[in-house]
Amino acid sequence: MRLTRGELKQLAGPVVVGLVLTLGGAALVWSTGEALRSGQRHFAAAQAERRQNTERLARIAEEEREVKEKIDLYQRLKQLHILGEERRLEWADAMARIRKERELLDLRYTVERQRLLTSVAAKPGNIDFYASTMKVDLALLHEEDLLRFLADLRESGNAYYAVRKCGLMRTGQAVSGAGMTPRLRADCEIDLITLVDPAKK
Amino acid sequence: MTKRLILYLSADEHYLYRAERTALELEGKFSADEAGLNAFREYLRSAQGALFAVLADLAGEDFHEEQIPYLRGADREALLARRLAQRYRDTRLAAALSLGQVLTPERRNERVLLASFTNTQQLSQWLDALEEAGARLAGVYSTALVAPALAAALGARDARVLLVSANRAGLRQCYIEKGRLRFARLERIGELAPEALAGFVRSETQRLVQYLITLRALAREAGPMQVLVIAPPGRRAAFEQALHADGRLTFRTIDYADAQRALKLRRLPEGAAAEALFVHLAAQKPPRQQFANRDERRRYLLWQLQRAIVGAGAAAFCLCALVGGSRSLDVINVRTATAEQRELARSAAQQYQRITSSFPVTDTSTENLKAAVVEFRRIAERSSNPEPAFIHISRVLQKYPQVELDALRWSVGKPGEVRLPTARTQPQGAAEPIDTMVLVEISGRVNATQRNDYRGITAQVQSFASALVGAGYELVRTQLPFDVTSEGVLSGDIGGSAESGEAPRFTVVLGRRLR
Repeated sequence: MRLTRGELKQLAGPVVVGLVLTLGGAALVWSTGEALRSGQRHFAAAQAERRQNTERLARIAEEEREVKEKIDLYQRLKQLHILGEERRLEWADAMARIRKERELLDLRYTVERQRLLTSVAAKPGNIDFYASTMKVDLALLHEEDLLRFLADLRESGNAYYAVRKCGLMRTGQAVSGAGMTPRLRADCEIDLITLVDPAKK
Repeated sequence: MTKRLILYLSADEHYLYRAERTALELEGKFSADEAGLNAFREYLRSAQGALFAVLADLAGEDFHEEQIPYLRGADREALLARRLAQRYRDTRLAAALSLGQVLTPERRNERVLLASFTNTQQLSQWLDALEEAGARLAGVYSTALVAPALAAALGARDARVLLVSANRAGLRQCYIEKGRLRFARLERIGELAPEALAGFVRSETQRLVQYLITLRALAREAGPMQVLVIAPPGRRAAFEQALHADGRLTFRTIDYADAQRALKLRRLPEGAAAEALFVHLAAQKPPRQQFANRDERRRYLLWQLQRAIVGAGAAAFCLCALVGGSRSLDVINVRTATAEQRELARSAAQQYQRITSSFPVTDTSTENLKAAVVEFRRIAERSSNPEPAFIHISRVLQKYPQVELDALRWSVGKPGEVRLPTARTQPQGAAEPIDTMVLVEISGRVNATQRNDYRGITAQVQSFASALVGAGYELVRTQLPFDVTSEGVLSGDIGGSAESGEAPRFTVVLGRRLR
């Protein structure tokens, strides 16, 4: 049956209604599909959260033991100002104080730029370990002066002192009667390690 | 709801019925003359949008059986149109009804029943009125075309059935073969007394059967044929008494009220006769084949198309709604499950918080506390201090007064990072790869021994180096003042006068694994 223009016009209304109904149905299917997908995503997230929380709860006894075991060291790091920003002025003060107290003949040092040593994933933020390498040149009367210097440095705090290199050699200078002549020289490289905890109050 | 109107045409008067699901209402009554036609035209002005069907119950129907080649589609249509044109002068109200296939030795044929009215004028005027009014004409039927559906509804199961009913137009007789109309006729009843109707039915039935045999539409030796008679209200007993079976006919009489029930026709206008059954069926189950051509039904077909489009849209919407409903149920289930999971997670978190609140007070999170301490310990494990090495070397030196040290180099780091005196990066005997190690390079001299006393110097250096091994230290390398290996050059100046006063120098490298 070939339709005339007038008949086609008469079909326009039903076609529009049919299209509206079809599109409405398609929109309904799409919207419910979206709602379902969104619901499934939320379900997966909730399930993962529940699993994580349950597992954490199951590990709580072990965690308690771990916390008790580690809290002392953490507090010690905090007391020694190893935990926190670098305190270069305190380092300089410590060097001056050690030289004076130990009556070291000569003490030269340079502290290089700070660098990121490592970053450990944690929650709520990463723990960043930084290191600044200090190069020390010492004139010594006796080798024990070096050991005492290192011990004093450790005691001064404000960083964890990880000695990387230390060389000890004779100066070869003859001992004169007028003053104290250094018999040994020491050169060391020491990493001054600090760590930053973003969750620390 | 669209109004469905059936115009029942008889020779004297025409009745317009409004068909409902289980009822018929009389909308109008028109005489079969010009006045009636004008009244009908007047009525049509107020019946815009209604669907019309015409049910003709007229004498003078022609039925003619033919065989045509078995064809389909446009070819069949064209062939049937040609056959109808050959048989009828006016094909406006002509139809070809299929009676099934016939297999001949040569080919497959189709039996068709060509049907029309001998006088189409009485119908045409009324159809023209419908056309002029722009009415939607669903179809033009005759009571004969509806008869097979009525017979089936009344439970006629036999292969050959003669349906007899007393309509307003007269006594309608329809011969149905295997559910298909084969022949029909209308005999006027006139002023016949109701008591005489049963006898009239009997005599007319016998006449018709005789005629069918003459036409060879019915085989003489075909056996008794069932005659289904719809008795007027209250006349069933009289009909059953008058209509008794013989060798050719068996009668089955149905009360008009029973026929109405069988068709689920609960209400009909007063005075309506058996034609109401045909009208009801023409409205509710119209036969596929009818007399109106496609042009006359064009508005109806357009209306059907409009309804089909909207219906398809509605069906699509319903289907989508079903899918959407099913998904909505899934969404509800998923949301319920999500809420349960969240509640469990919250409960576990609260329990965790409650328990951890009794933990030692920290000024950071547990995770950070653990991470900070674990990593710090790892760094500390890889660190060392020169003091233990110096003490170890001092103790050994006390046993070797002839050895004098020039320099000590202590270093710590990964094997690739520390400055090793040779290319060897880990001490002999180290089974596992070394992560971090301490290396101590000892440079010294052996006093009180002749420089040319290779054996003595070698023994003393090796003894000293061996003494250094222990307390975690391993010997990495020993460098003598001279090369005693096969790859090196060994030289001497025995008894020479130019004896150097400098003691022979050596180097011993020790290593200690940290991790």
